[in-house]
Amino acid sequence: MTDKLNIQLGYPPMSEHREGLTTESHDWTMIQAGTLVKGQEVITIDGMLPVEEACEILIKHNISSAPVYDPAPSETTTIDHPKSYIGMFDYADLISYLLIVLRKEVPPEDETTLEIKELVKRALNGEQVPVKLASDLSRKNPFCSVLPEATLVSILDEFACATHRVAVMQSNGNIMGILSQSRVIDHLYKNIRHFPDLHPLVNKSLRQLGLGEAPVVSVDADAIVLDALSLMNKHGVSSLAVIGPNNSLVGNVSMTDVKHIVKTQQKLLWATCFQFLSAIRINQGVVDGQDRHPVFEVKLDTSLLMTMGKLVATKAHRLWVTDEAEAVIGLVSLTDILRAISQSTVNQ
Amino acid sequence: MGSSDLDRQIEQLRQCEIITENEVKILCQKAREILAEESNVQKIDAPVTICGDIHGQFYDLKELFKVGGECPDTNYLFMGDFVDRGFYSVETFLLLLALKVRYPDRITLIRGNHESRQITQVYGFYDECLRKYGSVNVWRYCCEVFDHLALSAIIDNKIFCVHGGLSPSVNTIDQIRTIDRKVEVPHDGAMCDLLWSDPDDIEGWGLSPRGAGYLFGGDVVQSFLHNNDLNLIARAHQLVMEGYKLLFNDTIVTVWSAPNYCYRCGNVAAILELNDKLESNYKIFEAAVGVDSRGAGVRKRAPDYFL
Repeated sequence: MTDKLNIQLGYPPMSEHREGLTTESHDWTMIQAGTLVKGQEVITIDGMLPVEEACEILIKHNISSAPVYDPAPSETTTIDHPKSYIGMFDYADLISYLLIVLRKEVPPEDETTLEIKELVKRALNGEQVPVKLASDLSRKNPFCSVLPEATLVSILDEFACATHRVAVMQSNGNIMGILSQSRVIDHLYKNIRHFPDLHPLVNKSLRQLGLGEAPVVSVDADAIVLDALSLMNKHGVSSLAVIGPNNSLVGNVSMTDVKHIVKTQQKLLWATCFQFLSAIRINQGVVDGQDRHPVFEVKLDTSLLMTMGKLVATKAHRLWVTDEAEAVIGLVSLTDILRAISQSTVNQ
Repeated sequence: MGSSDLDRQIEQLRQCEIITENEVKILCQKAREILAEESNVQKIDAPVTICGDIHGQFYDLKELFKVGGECPDTNYLFMGDFVDRGFYSVETFLLLLALKVRYPDRITLIRGNHESRQITQVYGFYDECLRKYGSVNVWRYCCEVFDHLALSAIIDNKIFCVHGGLSPSVNTIDQIRTIDRKVEVPHDGAMCDLLWSDPDDIEGWGLSPRGAGYLFGGDVVQSFLHNNDLNLIARAHQLVMEGYKLLFNDTIVTVWSAPNYCYRCGNVAAILELNDKLESNYKIFEAAVGVDSRGAGVRKRAPDYFL
């Protein structure tokens, strides 16, 4: 039955999660946040740790973000955050921090909070910076929480606005887990046969859904990594296309790649983007015992289902959209997909 | 280019000495002529020794020949990924190519996913050519040869050999024969899948975490063997610490021939010897010891950042 479904959807028979032969219909909109994060080991970061140590925690646990708590809450802690969680520290924040330290690229005056002013002062003085000052430096990943009973359809609104993850928090302030965009797409994709409501949508192509065609922020393969990070920070994007000769897409530099910079004591910051990509790929292939394709891409005529599948399989947060000549014409991100799914509920 | 000239080049390459750019040009021309005549599914008669990824590990290739016998005394099939990562991709590929031109019926070379312009620019072969020859011409000549390599091989109509694995677009061997292979490795489609796919513990097909090709389960292998009257699929493409690994009730084997991969993984390597009755014998070998590591100093190796 699964095979027929997938062939009908224009996709080779899918094999993950074959729970018997039943294909019960479930209402995906009513899935609760708590069920999607069950059994997760929650990693949180003490706000007083220096930024470098906070980074090591992310690397060690192979996560890209973690909630930061203030061990000694004071009057200056804002009260709209539950309990003592004061933000999420992620690689975007780290990039902003590096740019301040290395290039004095300070956020504009009107966007600067007290925390950022304090951070800048310490960083420029060569002092250690506690991560609690850096946790919302990039202004891209605020601490958002939802109750375990919150339904997926309500969380989708948040995700559709480019929030990448929310903390699933019980009313006593205890974090059950972090629910990310990736986790939601993973669940919907692997259980798609239980969600017939979504079939008409996921069977459509990116072109039909108006996805995938948009100007992308790109960087030349010869540009140095520090310039690329600056560009990412300036445009507020989490990935840049790296363009080689003949306008070809040779790879991408993502926010999470900055972990390789930390691991190598920042030597890679002054490498070219191409050298950076090469170094990462060469190392990753040895660690995994198998090499990956330099670019993860789809076409405008690829179905939404196939696109979701590729994101789940590669664990990427976006796929590049290329034309017949392999030139990049756009990208499709987790946010784009969740927005499309969210909008489809409005249209019903 | 006479036989004696080629013999002299082979001897030189066996000492890990590169031949001139002009000699490479002529060698590649001759190789293309020979390879152009080969089928997408090149027929091989047993006995033959099957080898997996080499990845420029020249001195380990020499170990391989010590263990398996020199070419042409032993018939060989190399299943791709001759270049990238190791310090001696140039010498490795040119030696195999020279042996192919000298003894075309004793050695078969099929294409791996690394025999590609895009991949060799990222993983080291391009840089090595530039460094050793001062220009990109040798890289260009080699890429043209890559385009001509067969996609797969079949031994006595019973053992199918391919670098990566199977494709949902391909049910029969005959379908592979219809592919236009003399192109850069595409980003998707049958030719891409054959060079990028991996067997996996699933039923049916799955999308690959590599971002190209597919994952395929034991049931897919079973169907393919049945539909094509085969006994076994031999492939490479994935590091195996023990050198070789049989899966799915011994219907598919991964053979990996680069010991101590990237000079740091600590794995052993393997070759698969088939006698004329198609009986298999796996031989394990380790990395060459006391190797001239002049390559280590000269190469500005990006992986140093991670050591």
